[in-house]
Amino acid sequence: MAIRIQLDRLLLDRRMSLTELSDRVGVTVANLSILKTGKARAVRFSTLDALCRELECQPGELIAYEPGPSDVFEDGGEA
Amino acid sequence: MRFPKTSALGIRLPVNGRAGALAAANLKTLGPGSVSSLLKIALDAAYVLLALITGLMLILLVVGLFIPLDNLNITVSDSSGGRQLPMTRNLLVFGLGAISAYFGGFLLILRNLRKVFRTLTMGDPFRPENVSRLRQIGLILAVVTGGVWVAQGLVAARLAPGVMEPQGISDLLTPVFSILVVFVLAEVFREGARLRRESELTI
Repeated sequence: MAIRIQLDRLLLDRRMSLTELSDRVGVTVANLSILKTGKARAVRFSTLDALCRELECQPGELIAYEPGPSDVFEDGGEA
Repeated sequence: MRFPKTSALGIRLPVNGRAGALAAANLKTLGPGSVSSLLKIALDAAYVLLALITGLMLILLVVGLFIPLDNLNITVSDSSGGRQLPMTRNLLVFGLGAISAYFGGFLLILRNLRKVFRTLTMGDPFRPENVSRLRQIGLILAVVTGGVWVAQGLVAARLAPGVMEPQGISDLLTPVFSILVVFVLAEVFREGARLRRESELTI
């Protein structure tokens, strides 16, 4: 996936752990890891809202585009 | 994918007295006593029965290779009369082999259907494995249907010319339609599996 969720950088800047963020936004650590590793296929606005609120950032700071192979049109295969 | 119960989500579905209770009873599709579990029991029973028949046919096929056939005849008859033909080894093997293959094909179909139903009773039918299972069912159905059509044509042409009418293309219409339905269902399941995957990875 060419879209990256830059959780690592933001967590480092805020000196916050993934577990703490998980507690604050109500998303499991497993799902946050899926987001962090770029395996997620979609992000709900509610999740984005909670992440931006707790990390005190704009969606643009959280999401980045890195040119690379895209799997948008894959169906059923491994991403 | 397991969907959470509506009560766990704090959602209460409208239930209007008796009508609501009846609707709730009729809508039970999963779990013990549901439509799918009853169908699963029927499939299990049919599977065991077919396995026994197929096994018996295979035993008869093996036995048929060794029994003496010198004094055995078969009678091919219709309303106007009949005629007797000598029972040859090739004819016996062809007959028993065709019947074994026929039941074996349906046994394989039931085997796949049981696996599909197992996922359904677990509440997770839209799996990629079920897509290939449904495709296999369609393929086996096509082979069995084609095989029966060819076998009946052979019997009509070789064994009972003038007694049995040869098979026409029109006899294949209903089976072809059924096969088409199975392949369409496989595609529906493929899309379902894709949507399931999408929703799994939506955070």
